[in-house]
Amino acid sequence: MLSELINPYYLQIASFILLNIILGVSIYITLATGQLSLGHAGFMSIGAYTSAILTLNHNVPLVLGIVIAAVFTGLVGVIIGFPALRLHGVYLAIATLGFGEVIRVLFVNWENLTNGAIGIANIPHLGREILTLSKDIGFEPAALGLRNNQFISLAVFLLLLIITIAVIWFFIRQNNSRIGRAYASIKMDEQASEAMGINITYYKILAFGQGALLAGFAGALYAHMTAYISPSDFDYHRAVEILIFAIFGGSEVIWGPIFGAIFLSSLPEVLRSVSEYRFMIYGALIVFMMAFRPQGLIDMNVMNWLKRSKSKKKEGKHGTGSKENQ
Amino acid sequence: MVLEVKKISKNFGGIQALTDVSFSIEQGEVIGLIGPNGAGKTTMFNMITAMFPPSSGEIVFMGKSLSGLKPHEITKLGICRTFQNIRLFSDLTVRENVMVGNHCRLTTGVWQSVFRTKYQKQEEKKVLEKADEILEIVGLLEHSQTTAKNLSYGQQRRLEIARALASEPKLLLLDEPAAGMNEKETNDLFDLIMKIKSLGITVLLIEHDMPLVMRICSRLVVLNFGERIAEGTPDSIQTNKEVIEAYLGVEEEEEELA
Amino acid sequence: MLIEQLINGLTLGSIYVVVALGYTLVFGVLNIVNMGHGEIFMFGAFMGVVVTNSLELPLYVAFIIAIVVTAILGYFLERVALRPLRGKDGVSHLAPLISTIGVSIFLENAAHHLFGAGNKPFRTSFSDMSFTVGTTTVYYVQILIFVIAILLMAGLMFWLSKTKAGKALRASAEDLSVASLLGVNTKRMITQTVILASAMGGIAGILVGLAFNSVNPQMGLSFGLKGLAIIILGGLGNVRGAMAGGLILGLAETFVVAYGASGYRDAIAFIAIIVILIVRPQGIFGTATSGSRG
Repeated sequence: MLSELINPYYLQIASFILLNIILGVSIYITLATGQLSLGHAGFMSIGAYTSAILTLNHNVPLVLGIVIAAVFTGLVGVIIGFPALRLHGVYLAIATLGFGEVIRVLFVNWENLTNGAIGIANIPHLGREILTLSKDIGFEPAALGLRNNQFISLAVFLLLLIITIAVIWFFIRQNNSRIGRAYASIKMDEQASEAMGINITYYKILAFGQGALLAGFAGALYAHMTAYISPSDFDYHRAVEILIFAIFGGSEVIWGPIFGAIFLSSLPEVLRSVSEYRFMIYGALIVFMMAFRPQGLIDMNVMNWLKRSKSKKKEGKHGTGSKENQ
Repeated sequence: MVLEVKKISKNFGGIQALTDVSFSIEQGEVIGLIGPNGAGKTTMFNMITAMFPPSSGEIVFMGKSLSGLKPHEITKLGICRTFQNIRLFSDLTVRENVMVGNHCRLTTGVWQSVFRTKYQKQEEKKVLEKADEILEIVGLLEHSQTTAKNLSYGQQRRLEIARALASEPKLLLLDEPAAGMNEKETNDLFDLIMKIKSLGITVLLIEHDMPLVMRICSRLVVLNFGERIAEGTPDSIQTNKEVIEAYLGVEEEEEELA
Repeated sequence: MLIEQLINGLTLGSIYVVVALGYTLVFGVLNIVNMGHGEIFMFGAFMGVVVTNSLELPLYVAFIIAIVVTAILGYFLERVALRPLRGKDGVSHLAPLISTIGVSIFLENAAHHLFGAGNKPFRTSFSDMSFTVGTTTVYYVQILIFVIAILLMAGLMFWLSKTKAGKALRASAEDLSVASLLGVNTKRMITQTVILASAMGGIAGILVGLAFNSVNPQMGLSFGLKGLAIIILGGLGNVRGAMAGGLILGLAETFVVAYGASGYRDAIAFIAIIVILIVRPQGIFGTATSGSRG
């Protein structure tokens, strides 16, 4: 019964959509303080390579490898965050773009560590590790009536689902706190925030570090989901793709990039015929969005509207929803 | 002595905005900083709040030198300001704006915020209460859920003051709070400043509305072309020859420098 | 050996200058980094391939076609990605940067579909012709590239400083709103600037095709990024800075390749801009005031 419902191919796609959501959140966090980064593909690659090399060459357990990779990337983000403080707008965008390219060139050339342009293969696979683990504790996928490959893709999907929910939960909570208010105020007016007593240096670097950590984390997961990475997985196109999640979906609220990631990564799957033209569509979409809806599809008004229609449903005719709407 | 400004000078790429300006403020006073446009009043505020460092001179607050401190550190010490050209966080609600103002009096970090520890919850509750309390004082409580940019001009000016008050300042710097207000709003503002004074907060006020300044300030410091030309009670300033000349001679033809 | 490298470096550098001038012109007038410029340049290079190899027409025809096609692309870029954003309320200053990234992604992938993904050779009748002075070999192609680049630079400098249109453009670069008060038709000025910059990109495309004998859809990105690096090196919007920056980068890359670390050639530009941005954000040749723009 279960085995008929589970299609490994669709689960894999769903897992990559979840990964893209994490990446979308990672760019959202940096943007939350008004910093535009085109270097997230670079951070992602640092996470991917760190975890791949640790697990493959140094026999570090997979989970530990991913954690170390994420933390290490976060630290790199903090280090990059300091000089990034001095840069604004276009300058920051170009400098982070440059950072991403330097990292890529570094990984192409550091051959004895990264295997150069050929990339690293046979990275321990997340799903297979889970399979071995569950067999070790005496659990067989067959007990659920699943084939091994079904079990693997299901396990990866569920794990990613939990991680993604945890990540979203984490940042929603953070947004609704002193930290989130500080981010929002810095995004709107840096100088005024500082005059109101907010340590903008700390928060901008925190945001940059968090974004990098999350991108590195996603990179590490990516490495263990595909079992193969090469520098070209993390090029300029990847950076732009991550940015598009936030531009298309919107970066005012966290649901923007999440929606963007879901919509844009399922688009080529739903419309097979367009997948070949995916990047052309992305390109046209960016231009279109900037001209007609620069804040992205999901903005504060949409969220308020959703909240209101939800509370109206709840409260029935007693709804007081539209009072604050001027 | 709350604030001592000692021989502050500021040079912006060859333009002398302030020259050796000194004055001091006593606890509980409402002091007016007046002068024609371009006299360097806002620049003085920027010096006190460390938005720009002075070229020379020193500012001492409650016996502590402010040299080398960052703006947020100065706010934490107890000086907060409003802006002449309103700089609210326009997409946040009125209440959130005030809560941001209280930021430096809170201590919860990332982990406490995410896991909502008991301490964090208490602190958030306190902030909310505090914000509503201040909104009550400035008369914006009923608008607490409104987005700041949807407020009227006069309300925005009040919110600027509320946001600054939320930082629990000992010294409040108000930069033209009455600008663009009608007579009723100005009267309300007068009451508000008196209320702030009664809370034991010292006020330094930049204002062009002379009737308001004369009514509310116990002492005035007059700047012209970046120099202090007079200091004294409103009455003595009104009859000061140099001050009258400064106002009549220059009119309002120069742009404020900063 | 040294002189040969010097010639190689100058050739490469002069190409970079022509690429970078396209960015500088647009930034100078509009304060916008046109991320689509690299891809327009790449289209110019492909026009060269199509005209000389597929249609077997002479090189000068290739130049004309490339100029026309890239000028048209520039016009569309301005109409579609820049004009709708101008003067609109609440548009972040990053919006044009992002929308031109959109154009660049679109054009790159359009080129994939039109011309194929791989490298296309760019052969001309004199590709391999060279002469030797002492131990130094000089290719005619190098001389051609260098001469064209110099002519372009000189022409641009002359046009900017001596002609009416050029003066209007410089006035616009100083301050668009003031220029418009002085009777400059800024809308037309902006369109003209983008078209001019794009046409220069078209010429640069053919020069690169000649120099490397190879053209592919990704070259827009790699050269575009270097063009960006150069204008940051030289100070955004600074024409002379772009010239110096381009030559410096060309020489630096050539010597890095000649003396060892060839793999890191493409990183030089970026390491340079990161260092420059941190140490001297206004660029080596920029003035302090123009650099701190957000």
